[in-house]
Amino acid sequence: MSESGEALAVEAHGLEKSYRDGAARVRVLAGVDLSLAAGERVAIVGPSGCGKSTLLHLLGTLDRPDAGTVSIGGRRVDRLSARALARFRNRTIGFVFQFHQLLPDFDALENVMMPARVAGHSAAEAARRAEPLLAQVGMAERLDHFPSQLSGGERQRVAICRALVMAPALLLADEPTGNLDPASAEQVFQLLLRLQAEHGTTAVVVTHNPVLARRCGRVLGLDGGRLAPQTA
Amino acid sequence: MSAVRAAGSLGTRAWALPFPLLLAARYLRSGRRDAFVTLLAALAVGGIAIGTSALVVVLAALSGLQSFLRDDVLTRTPQIEITLPSGWDPAAAETLMQRLRAVAGVRSLSRVLRGRGWVRVGSGVRAGEMVGYEGSLPAFFPAPEPARGPGGEPPPAAGLWVGSAPAAAWGLEAGEPVELISPRPALSPFGPVPSAVRIPFAGTYRTGRTEQPDELRLALPLAAAVRLFGSQGMRLSVETAGLSEALMVADRLLPMLPAGAHLATWRELNRPLFFALRLEKSVMFVSVFLIVPVAAMALVTALTLLVAAKRGEIGMLRAMGATAGDMRRGFAYLGLAIGAAGVLAGMGLGATAALVLDRWRLVSAPGNVYFVDHLPFRLEIGDLLIVALSTGGMTLLATLVAARRAAAFEPVEALRA
Repeated sequence: MSESGEALAVEAHGLEKSYRDGAARVRVLAGVDLSLAAGERVAIVGPSGCGKSTLLHLLGTLDRPDAGTVSIGGRRVDRLSARALARFRNRTIGFVFQFHQLLPDFDALENVMMPARVAGHSAAEAARRAEPLLAQVGMAERLDHFPSQLSGGERQRVAICRALVMAPALLLADEPTGNLDPASAEQVFQLLLRLQAEHGTTAVVVTHNPVLARRCGRVLGLDGGRLAPQTA
Repeated sequence: MSAVRAAGSLGTRAWALPFPLLLAARYLRSGRRDAFVTLLAALAVGGIAIGTSALVVVLAALSGLQSFLRDDVLTRTPQIEITLPSGWDPAAAETLMQRLRAVAGVRSLSRVLRGRGWVRVGSGVRAGEMVGYEGSLPAFFPAPEPARGPGGEPPPAAGLWVGSAPAAAWGLEAGEPVELISPRPALSPFGPVPSAVRIPFAGTYRTGRTEQPDELRLALPLAAAVRLFGSQGMRLSVETAGLSEALMVADRLLPMLPAGAHLATWRELNRPLFFALRLEKSVMFVSVFLIVPVAAMALVTALTLLVAAKRGEIGMLRAMGATAGDMRRGFAYLGLAIGAAGVLAGMGLGATAALVLDRWRLVSAPGNVYFVDHLPFRLEIGDLLIVALSTGGMTLLATLVAARRAAAFEPVEALRA
């Protein structure tokens, strides 16, 4: 595992996942294979409910597959204990969700500091990591603003900073602009790509927007529970 | 803005705390924004405070009353009483007494003889317990008041001592002979007749407030008691520096006693009373304690609602790497802070109420029924500890139930909320 921010390769083989819907069982992923080089950026597109978020959750170790394997940096993460997974997520993976999921009781700076505090870093160390990131995204003057005092675009910028504060090897973004107006969406997406490139982080971006997806470089489509390359 | 300034500008010192404590501290503050959860938390704090204060007041009242009863009863009880084996040689008894007097902690040791008989007062006769004493009046006849004649003559050196209440009722005067009659028969030319002696009235001792009006206890010289009851059943009364010392001295005396002798301390002599007092306190404690679980339910509800409201945040924190244990501890600290506020408020409220009620004697009671004209309150460290531990324990239990729910969310489930 990289704890120094060095990008890691991601390998997933034969991932399967199904959910119970009443008496029926819905198969969402039916043998997904995915291979990402260290530092690579890939977009995953597909219709609503096709399993994009489920795949992201499996790659992010938030959920376990019914079958198949996930390796990050050559390490089988689907075999780790819950405690080890928590530590792995904290040090290795950054998440950006469609709904920013900021903590409403904490201000912008505190939200970005939070992963470092979870890791056991001191408040000063966490602030030392968080402040430059927020300054980089133009939030230097909004550090003590609570999420309710920020616009949608600002919240998502804070969420991106929070995802990157531990210098993760892998960035997973689930519809990061899905809840924003076009102008804000463009700003946030540009920011995401810029920071990902600057940090050299391996990134998986789930999006509905084919235009944004193409800007990621490689685009994969999820349909019928399987991934396939998509061309323009 | 520098990192140092940022760390200092975080609004509270809580940021220096470990993560679970930090979470609890912030949720405690932010609880003010969620009116419903705040209301439930306030109800929980109020309920726990009321239950705790009720426990403190009730236990203080029982301790006060029991302390009064115990003191009153114990002043009339020998500290240690040894019953010698029947038929024991008086010379051997004398030797034993010499040895026992030499034991560390023994202040005085004297023979006493107990029996039941009648006292003739005027034209009437009353039954009562008669205690033959050796030397001076034993300490379990408290506050002796020697009777003096009209000219201030001293009382007889060895005479009859009567409780202050019956002595006043009978109108006894110093040196006045009083006839005591024993049921033990003495042979006469007319066949067996009850033994009788006449003893001069020497003085009074303080009648206990808890003594019943028909309860009569008389102290008479040992020689007169032997004439009335014989020398069988002779006992030794031992006095020490205090009640707790008596228990230690009893342990030292016990191995020195001959086979067939029986030693009883003030504790054994009053076992039924102490058992009743302890039972009463336990039953009252359990009855009043039932308020606390009800209040703890409100705490569980408040925390459970808070956990439900924070489900998305819990999911995000888990995604950031917080463990289930971190979440459990965070919500447990939060619940403990709320519960501790209730317990501390209740302890303070209850202790203040008990002190005020005792200082100004605000709870009156009919003296002829309860022996006291007001209810005394007495705060005891042991009682306060029991209240704090039991209410604190119940709060902890309620908190852990709710905190487990916070830990039970899988990250992906919580994020879907």
